[in-house]
Amino acid sequence: MNFDLSDDQRAAAAGAREFFTGSVPLSAARAALEGDGAPAPGRKALADIGFLGITVPESAGGAGGSVLDLAVVAEQGGAVLAGPSLVTAARAAVLLEGAPDLATQLADGSAAMAVLDGPVTGSAPSLDAADATLFLGLDDGALVVGEGEVVPGRPLDATRGLASVRLTSRRVLAEDAGELWARARAVGAVVMAAEDLGAADRAVLMGVQYAQQREAFGRVIGSYQAVKHMLVDAWVGVDQLRSLVWWAAWAADSAPGELPLAAAAAKAYAAEVFERAAETVVQVHGGIGFTWEHDAHLYWRRARVDRLLLGDAAEHLDAVARLAVDGALG
Amino acid sequence: MDFDDTPDEAAYRAQARALLAEHDAELLHVRPGESADARLREAELRATQRVLADAGLVGVTWPREYGGQGGTLVQQAIVAQELSRARVPTLINHIGIGMCGPTVIAHGSDDQRSRYLARLLRADDVWCQLFSEPASGSDLAALRTSAVRDGEDWVVNGQKVWTTLAHVADFGILLTRTDPERPKHAGLTMFVVDMHAPGVTVRPLRQMSGDAGFNEVFFDDVRIPDSERLGEPGEGWRVALTTLMNERVAIGGAGSDIGQSAEALAAHTRDRLPALGAEQQALARQAVGRALVAALAARYTGYRRFTTLSQGGVPGPEASAGKLGGTAAARLVSDAGVRLLGDDAVYGATADGDETWQKAAAYVPGIAIAGGTDQVLRNILGERVLGLPAEPRTDKTAPFSGGRR
Repeated sequence: MNFDLSDDQRAAAAGAREFFTGSVPLSAARAALEGDGAPAPGRKALADIGFLGITVPESAGGAGGSVLDLAVVAEQGGAVLAGPSLVTAARAAVLLEGAPDLATQLADGSAAMAVLDGPVTGSAPSLDAADATLFLGLDDGALVVGEGEVVPGRPLDATRGLASVRLTSRRVLAEDAGELWARARAVGAVVMAAEDLGAADRAVLMGVQYAQQREAFGRVIGSYQAVKHMLVDAWVGVDQLRSLVWWAAWAADSAPGELPLAAAAAKAYAAEVFERAAETVVQVHGGIGFTWEHDAHLYWRRARVDRLLLGDAAEHLDAVARLAVDGALG
Repeated sequence: MDFDDTPDEAAYRAQARALLAEHDAELLHVRPGESADARLREAELRATQRVLADAGLVGVTWPREYGGQGGTLVQQAIVAQELSRARVPTLINHIGIGMCGPTVIAHGSDDQRSRYLARLLRADDVWCQLFSEPASGSDLAALRTSAVRDGEDWVVNGQKVWTTLAHVADFGILLTRTDPERPKHAGLTMFVVDMHAPGVTVRPLRQMSGDAGFNEVFFDDVRIPDSERLGEPGEGWRVALTTLMNERVAIGGAGSDIGQSAEALAAHTRDRLPALGAEQQALARQAVGRALVAALAARYTGYRRFTTLSQGGVPGPEASAGKLGGTAAARLVSDAGVRLLGDDAVYGATADGDETWQKAAAYVPGIAIAGGTDQVLRNILGERVLGLPAEPRTDKTAPFSGGRR
């Protein structure tokens, strides 16, 4: 058994950490929330460094990498609340397997793409749709691409670029695309779980660092078991989430039969773990953690939004139970 | 990344599997999820371990000079997986193999090693670990069982509790207080005790599940020769840490479920879900889904630990997270299992006498206590992994007899 990242993947994660740390100040997420700028690093920077094309085939201008390769990068983006999401890149790359010209535009950033959830005549709030110009959707079982009219809501987390879209033009890319669509959505769920992993991990780290410094009643608050145990529970969740993310990403690449179960498990667990981590970091900081100026609520906002995107926990838990009853555990 | 054995591991697994098949008729078997009660099946369990020992499947990680196989932690995990797959129950001497034996190897005399270790591996002698007391559980170093020097012997008085296998054990490792005037950790001494010696009384301890898997052990003027001491007088805490580090390796959880398995819950769901009302089905599916996610999260985290072993690493404090996660999963799995019983959930067993899920639920509180309570494990993780300071303590430096215990 070798359930671990490869040296190349570790190096890629380190490189991604450096890129995201250098290009995404947390002030960007706050500024976007205040209507004062776009999420960082933005599409162009992600395209330029090659992250939008990690899973796009080399023949279409991508890196031809695995979903796991993408997940380890996405984790680093999640840690700093980067936008747009690599979920969109991952999902679109699957949907565009039969449309290499569009895949090229996805990878090089020349088309600002989003994938629509729900009906294309008026979609559900969809990731990174707010500033997109080309949309992929499922219309009566067919995969379609088109332009659309974008209606954003007031952001709860402005880094997610959520908007509803009504397609104003559409071209069929593939008939009977239900299975392809489901696989792409599952891959998207895995990558979102990876971003949530990075964000939850960072939130726990913020809480730990504060608990090592802040003093009350004559000693640092991290020495109190009431505080320590909260942080440990959040950390254990993050540690276990990493296992599910790796498994699900591996399944997407190497064991497609396990993907529906693994993706549902990872997404459901990510929702729970990230929300707990975000609430913990606020609580550990006390009053300062509840202020607008502190970064804690930026993570809390991301957690509150992500838990509902690409299927909420109830949907995924139900899927896990149904799949297991149908023999998915083997 | 893959979940396959390396060629070496695959060869070892094939060898273990072949040996188990060859000796299948000589081994005791249990149903999935069932354990064998040492109270009822002692002779069969001893015989099973003897067969396995002679086949080279016991003491996998022990040095060859003491009758072990000189193997790796991964090979040990592979044997454990293959025993489980073959439905062979846990070895009767698992505490001896995992904890007592390694302690004798590390701290015993040559004479003790030659007298005890080979017999332990073949279950000619069964061993138990006499650590916990009524007034010292998590705070083990607060123990009060006393050993007082008398000529060439030590005289022991006191009580131990939660002693697995004491009722069938021939020997035990016994942690005692030999110097109450020293601080609590500094006044302890470890011995090997003959469980058949005069003055040793073993009583079964019935736990909340109704079973009696543990015992209380009373020592009334029990004489132990000084030659049965493990380590120097006053060095008992250091010796005990050897035992406890081996316990961490033994229960670190390299991908095996604690309690009922995810597969067992899936099968149970298949059986029982259709009989529930529509609303209950929706709620039960949520509970089952949540439990399975927790079980899978713990399982795949165990696979990461297994990989660490496979790469030659040793379990560190993060192994405590494996037990915490496994316990949390066991709680959710057993609760979902009970929920699926519908109206039967208010009874101790179903109409046809099946008590699997109620038993599983009644075991969970014990899982969260034994081998490190959830709270102690959180302290370990908080302090050694997250780097948070320990609570201030007043009991570490004062003489134990002074009252600050």
